[in-house]
Amino acid sequence: MVNFELRRDRILVRFRDKKTEWVIEPRYWRNPTIAITFLFLLPLFVQTWPNILTMITTANLYAAIAIPLALQMLGTARVNFGPQLYLGLGGYTAALLNLHGGWTPGETLFAVVVVCAVVAILISPTTWIAKGLYFSLITLILPLTFLDITYIWGDIFRGEVGLTGMSPLLTLPKVTWNYLAYYYLSLLLMLLYLLICDRIVRSRIGVNLAAINENEDVARMMGVNVDRYKVFYYVFPSVLTGIVGWFIVHTFRTFAGVTYLPLEFMIKILIIVLVGGRAFLYGAIPGAYLVSIVEDSLRTLGPVNYFVFPLVLIVLIIFLPRGEGLWGLYRKRRPRDYFPKLHVRRE
Amino acid sequence: MLEVRNVTKRFGGLTAVNEVSFTVNEGEVIGLIGPNGAGKTTLINLICGVYKPDSGAIVFEGKDITGLPPNKICHAGISRTYQIPKPFEAMTALASVLVSVLNGKKRSHMSLPDAVMEASYYLEFVGLFSKRDTLARDLNLYELRMLELARALATTPKLLLLDETMAGLNPKEADAALDMIWSAQEQFAVTILWIEHVMKIIMKATKRVVVLHYGKKMAEGPPEEIIRDPRVIEAYLGVRYAQNL
Repeated sequence: MVNFELRRDRILVRFRDKKTEWVIEPRYWRNPTIAITFLFLLPLFVQTWPNILTMITTANLYAAIAIPLALQMLGTARVNFGPQLYLGLGGYTAALLNLHGGWTPGETLFAVVVVCAVVAILISPTTWIAKGLYFSLITLILPLTFLDITYIWGDIFRGEVGLTGMSPLLTLPKVTWNYLAYYYLSLLLMLLYLLICDRIVRSRIGVNLAAINENEDVARMMGVNVDRYKVFYYVFPSVLTGIVGWFIVHTFRTFAGVTYLPLEFMIKILIIVLVGGRAFLYGAIPGAYLVSIVEDSLRTLGPVNYFVFPLVLIVLIIFLPRGEGLWGLYRKRRPRDYFPKLHVRRE
Repeated sequence: MLEVRNVTKRFGGLTAVNEVSFTVNEGEVIGLIGPNGAGKTTLINLICGVYKPDSGAIVFEGKDITGLPPNKICHAGISRTYQIPKPFEAMTALASVLVSVLNGKKRSHMSLPDAVMEASYYLEFVGLFSKRDTLARDLNLYELRMLELARALATTPKLLLLDETMAGLNPKEADAALDMIWSAQEQFAVTILWIEHVMKIIMKATKRVVVLHYGKKMAEGPPEEIIRDPRVIEAYLGVRYAQNL
């Protein structure tokens, strides 16, 4: 009836005229499939603990911020220290328009995209002017200035206490269902970002991205329109980050500049990118989960966790493969290779 | 084909290139020589658009390309190699050539697999196909120079600027590189402007030589005449040597 056959590296299962196979060695498994299945099934095991559900929802959102940031770091060849500027912009645009203008979440999404795109286009010439440390400093100052603005015009932004009472995306009859729904929504958002960014990296313009990341001047000499690409790679991830802010506003229904704009939040995101692996967009996901698990489990220690959390992360950065992070551990010590490869089969 | 008209470039008080003008005709191999610091590489950088000339004009195929950005000049059909190879270190040889194939001219309908096939053709041409999946940082000097040549050819240039291709190669490799450049000229019908310090190769390869000295054009003519020109000997080997000759 069912026929099992053991080959050198795989088990073949034959049933009538159908054949399926299972590769024995785990490193040849279809990892994206396994990981996505795991993430989709995860809340079913933890749904009785709402705090863990919130934690993994937050992890998804961290990853949704870190994935575009990784793309931006590759495409502009610069480290942006202020992606949370667009998180704040998106969040405040959505929250204020929803509270005072009575806009629905769909309308605020549109407004967020427009506002973030306009601001990012206005700031994008810094990618032509500034390099290295100077670019990092300029981008570092912007969100901190925005944080100050939320304090100065406190009656509008309510910088310290935050805005509350925005209309939710979904209203389900049970609270636990809401938690589950928001987890799946955040997961879908993150996977959508991963899909988009991955498609970009593996396309024709992804090859140019690699070249710009290596050496701008030489890339320019090869005919790459570096300036246009840098603007695109600055603006597009910024808009994606802004949409995460919109998502936070309409799911957690509270948004405070003091949570998302300060340096600590940015360092968390940068560390996710570093721990996950700078060269790989996928790395952001294990990185985000690891960081939020560490953060959450250390919170029980009390005030000590303000020292221990950064220490743990520094140790991780030191001991993980440089530049390749957790994803590099997974990929063993294979050289970092860009798409595509050409294989010639010899008989 | 290329016309350089009274081009001047100053870096602060130093005049690196001073009122240089010459023409390059189609299908020609022209040598550009001069002692160290004579402004040869600066001249190439000016033609490629890395620097803007302070005065003068550079005309390519009847079109003024003075001050255009490098990517526009690349699209017009000028390509170069570097004196010190500047590879994309963490990219494979194939991927680095792929960048040129996809961007050298407008190829909006070329798919990625097609581009890979074309890039592999250029790699095969310079003899690096077996190293296609090697990272550029693991290649040796000769292979890097060949990779640079492949990258430059893949942008489908009409004019190829070679910046000291032979420097640091042993005689056998230099011969191989010379053959490669000749066959490139035959197959792709490129015009070559060639900076070189190795006079033996300049004598072999070029029909006409331009000599730069302290940023000024000193002489121009066939290489046999140039090496007998007392001014050139003076510039290269010193006044005393020229007097004792």
